[in-house]
Amino acid sequence: MFQKWIDSSMKKSPWIFHINAGSCNGCDIELVSVLTPRYDAERFGFRLTGSPRQADIVVVSGPITMQSRERLVRTLAQVPEPFCVVSLGSCPRSGNVFKGSYAIDGPLEKWTHVDVSVGGCTPKPEAIIAALAQAAELLEKKRSRMHG
Amino acid sequence: MDFLMLAVQILVFPGLLFMTAMGVLLTGLGGKLVARLQNRVGPPVLQPWYDILKCFGKEMIVPEHAGRAVYIGAPVLGFAVLCTAGFFIPMGGRAVFSGTADVIVVLYLLTFCSVMAMAGAASTGSPFAGVGVSREMVAMISYELPFVLILLAVGKLAGSDTGGVTFSLQSIAEWQRIHGPVLFHWSMIPAAIAMLFVISCEAGLHPFDVAEAETEICEGLLAEYSGLPLAFYRLTHCVRLFIMTALFAALFLGGLAAGNDGLAVLLLVAVCIVLTFLCMALPHGICARLRVEQLFRFYWTVVTGLALVSLVLVWFGL
Repeated sequence: MFQKWIDSSMKKSPWIFHINAGSCNGCDIELVSVLTPRYDAERFGFRLTGSPRQADIVVVSGPITMQSRERLVRTLAQVPEPFCVVSLGSCPRSGNVFKGSYAIDGPLEKWTHVDVSVGGCTPKPEAIIAALAQAAELLEKKRSRMHG
Repeated sequence: MDFLMLAVQILVFPGLLFMTAMGVLLTGLGGKLVARLQNRVGPPVLQPWYDILKCFGKEMIVPEHAGRAVYIGAPVLGFAVLCTAGFFIPMGGRAVFSGTADVIVVLYLLTFCSVMAMAGAASTGSPFAGVGVSREMVAMISYELPFVLILLAVGKLAGSDTGGVTFSLQSIAEWQRIHGPVLFHWSMIPAAIAMLFVISCEAGLHPFDVAEAETEICEGLLAEYSGLPLAFYRLTHCVRLFIMTALFAALFLGGLAAGNDGLAVLLLVAVCIVLTFLCMALPHGICARLRVEQLFRFYWTVVTGLALVSLVLVWFGL
């Protein structure tokens, strides 16, 4: 029963850690606006944490520049299981306007598993909330798979 | 039989179970109040409980260079020490333990709890935790001085019948049963206001949470914590808020509904909720996080000044 409680609280308290992998700041601002009083994602338990060790959902924005690639991989390795990766905006998906640039090394799928992907340049806050909610549902599934 | 009674008191009421439940409820309620102040819907009242449960379900990563025993032991020991401090505070008419100088024991145990948090953080060797430790130390120095002055003022007032200073929460409660709550003596009002600020800082609440600034120093003390020890830290945070508000109730509003234990517990809960609004929701809704030196200056001038005014007034028998 205790395991069930833990499983169901996984989706009620998903903490977000945000990695900027060379983003233009547009998606970052939209992500923050999700937590403002207007959209208030905190009502579902979402919270921005400062440390990857406490993250449940890792949100990656930006086209994965050469400079940020190594940091991205190292930060993702520090997140405790179970966790979800959400790619935010078109850049981590395809490179967007930066596609073909010598300075980027995307897409994000090359470096990690991506659970939920939101398209758009920039995606609307409603779309981001929907994606985060999907990721929270996935968290519960991942957790229950962990203990069989 | 006595042993069984003591076990029930320690584990259920007013022990672990009651303190944990109250701590979680107060923290959740505080979060909800903050949200309402900011015109938001806010997280459910049980949110801190979900946060803690979730942490139990996460993988625990022990940093390579951390001392494993300290890393895991410090949060657990800190929680145990904090609960022990709670056993000395009268709730609903009686405390689990009482002694002649339990105010000093409570003060010591509360400090010990903060030291445990610092020891655990320092053991991880993370530079962010290092900054957090130094900030927590400054915060501790800031609130300890007015806290001691407040305790002295209350002790002097409650000891005025015998002509000394009393350090027993039981005799402070006795005095209030005869003379009315300490808060209703006008000379103690500055000390009560100072105590509100001490609660905020001691419990690490928002404008004063310099040690755990998540945006500046990656959660500071908690930078490397995940899984089970993090759950204990969260639990300690919640229980701390309850213990500090209950201590306020015992020091300033004791002796209400004396003789009726059930009513006394209800009153305690009501006082704790009002204090949560005053110490947690209101400053969080109004104020952005202070800088370390602002915090230090504020506590050593304004808050200490208020406590000192009360102490001087009480000392002259007003």
